[in-house]
Amino acid sequence: MAERVLEVDRLSKRYEDVVALRDLSFQVRAGELFGFVGSNGAGKTTTMRIIMGVLGADAGAVRWAGVPLTFATRRHIGYMPEERGLYPKMRVLEQLVYLAELHGTPSDEARRNAARWLERLGLATRASDEVQALSHGNQQRVQLAAALVAGPEILILDEPFAGLDPLAVDVMSAVLRDEARAGIPVLFSSHQLELVEQLCDRVGIIRHGRMVAVGTVDELRQTKTERLWVDVPGAAAGWTDRLPGVTALQTAGSRWLLELAPGVDDQAVLQAALVTGPVREFARDVPSLSELFRHFVTEEPET
Amino acid sequence: MSVSQSSQHDGDALHSVYLVARREFVVRVRSRVFRIGTILIVLFLIGFVVLKTRVLTTTPTVTTVGVTGPAQVLAHPLTEAARGLGRITIQHVSSPAVGESLVRSGQLDVLVTGSPLSPQVLVKDQLNATLQAALTGLVKQEALSAQLTARGLNPGTVAAAVAHAGIHIHSLTPPSAGTTQRLVLALIVGVVLFVSLQSYGLQVAQGVAEEKESRIVEILLATLRPGQLLLGKVVGIGLVGLLQLAIIGAVALILIERTHVVTIPAFGAGDIAGGLLWFVLGFSLYAILFAAAGSLVSRVQEVQMATLPVIMALTVGYLAGFAVVLPDPGSPASTVLSLVPFLAPVLMPERLATGDALAWQVVLAVALTLVAIGAATWLASRIYGNSVLKTGARVRLGEALQGR
Repeated sequence: MAERVLEVDRLSKRYEDVVALRDLSFQVRAGELFGFVGSNGAGKTTTMRIIMGVLGADAGAVRWAGVPLTFATRRHIGYMPEERGLYPKMRVLEQLVYLAELHGTPSDEARRNAARWLERLGLATRASDEVQALSHGNQQRVQLAAALVAGPEILILDEPFAGLDPLAVDVMSAVLRDEARAGIPVLFSSHQLELVEQLCDRVGIIRHGRMVAVGTVDELRQTKTERLWVDVPGAAAGWTDRLPGVTALQTAGSRWLLELAPGVDDQAVLQAALVTGPVREFARDVPSLSELFRHFVTEEPET
Repeated sequence: MSVSQSSQHDGDALHSVYLVARREFVVRVRSRVFRIGTILIVLFLIGFVVLKTRVLTTTPTVTTVGVTGPAQVLAHPLTEAARGLGRITIQHVSSPAVGESLVRSGQLDVLVTGSPLSPQVLVKDQLNATLQAALTGLVKQEALSAQLTARGLNPGTVAAAVAHAGIHIHSLTPPSAGTTQRLVLALIVGVVLFVSLQSYGLQVAQGVAEEKESRIVEILLATLRPGQLLLGKVVGIGLVGLLQLAIIGAVALILIERTHVVTIPAFGAGDIAGGLLWFVLGFSLYAILFAAAGSLVSRVQEVQMATLPVIMALTVGYLAGFAVVLPDPGSPASTVLSLVPFLAPVLMPERLATGDALAWQVVLAVALTLVAIGAATWLASRIYGNSVLKTGARVRLGEALQGR
């Protein structure tokens, strides 16, 4: 049996004159939390809608365990669309049972699942309220329950954290971690990069419909030129000028931020620093995902 | 793919349609709009029938007639004559003076005194016209009988001979029993079908737009094909409409049974079943177009505008009913119009109600409507499938048809 991998293979999509996706490829493995980040309009939602089959791709394929997704296999995907959607005048529990049944879950199992998820998400007391009577945050929880209620094999969540209060963020994070731990590939998009960095096993950065970086956050850091913070109170201006491949980016008092060209040995920089006098700090600048993101999405477009 | 697999898929597809239809039905039947609406219609129906019964058989107030002296012989024939006139009670009064005081106090309406051949009639203000005619007739009858007896003839034999004399009416157009009642019935059938097709059709359009507006359609279409969602919605809402019409029909049948407002022979469950059949046909045709119209817009407020062409087609049939069919249901123009698919769902049941539709015409109209349903389904599925996920600006019809 083929490996349980959700494989997005060279998707292309164009709306009239606008290219939404070009040769977009990435994979989400079973049990993996995959964070999908990119600016607004970069193509995250388009990708997810193509995976869900609500939008057609011009080229490319989406496969699960080596087999292209079909209408029948898509019923096993839990989906939370960017634009939230529930029947406002339907009761919470009934709505979840209905959605589970539509996904092929037998009636009594659907009822049990729905009740269990409402319990887990702290909505048990609201089961017979109409959705429109719930607060925005609670509607969001119902929306998550709607994605999970049919016991999906894959989860595709478009901005699941948008508009959540910190407590709800914790609940959502815990649920996603548990689902991944249970062996489900979880793909979600988000603009909350600290959260993505904390939560995700791997991250994909999309820009103008193209995947510009995929990997663990550490792997992404490797692709960026190394930077060092060096605090040298005795150094004179221009002390780095004689070091090949080293550029001083900024100074803050006696602290210098240096950028090292690929292949430059940081030990040579340390030695040069020691020559100037005492070295109070010598540290690698570990970029956060936000910094990496800015780095990747502001790079000059390839021609 | 093996046969068993494909048939299993068909089963799944049908099950999905069933789930969608069941949701529509349950949510709507449970809604306050449906319950209160149905109760109001039933109350209106009862009110209408009760009012009509009152107006038709104006129960006259009981007239109390006092008789005294020789005029008492009139008491029996007057009671006989009064059978057709409404209720009269006869009261024998001891003397004219007592009778007069009773009339004055209002305990008697009429006092008859004196000789049966020229009685004195005393009233407070005016004598009821029918009673006056009845009394005059009786008195003349008495006079005639007296004369006949005086001439040695048997008044009974003469009366029997006179009773046989009469006119015989020949009409060039054969009398159809209760033509007016049938016309009223046709009118009611037309109005009920028009109103229910329009209101339940609009519910379909609104339901479609609601799913677009709330964006749940994206979740639904990740697990349903557009055709399944469309069919389930039309079937579910159609069944709600059918249920309401069946309730109204049953109440109408019971009322007719109890009050005898409608006296047309052979009217009953068959006519109501015919009306329901045409609701099913008309709804299948119109609802699917209403759904397509609803899928073009993204907000419920825009539904009215988008559905205007569909409502207009329905209204043309309704107005043609008043202008052409009801004035002369048997005319060639009426026949032709009642065969046209988009008009038939209102016009053919009207002609069925007047009793002018021939069997072949009904069969042809049903067949043509079925063909139109097929064409409308094809067209509407295309429009719906291409528009239902496009939110934002209103989708242009051409765009929806081409599927860009």
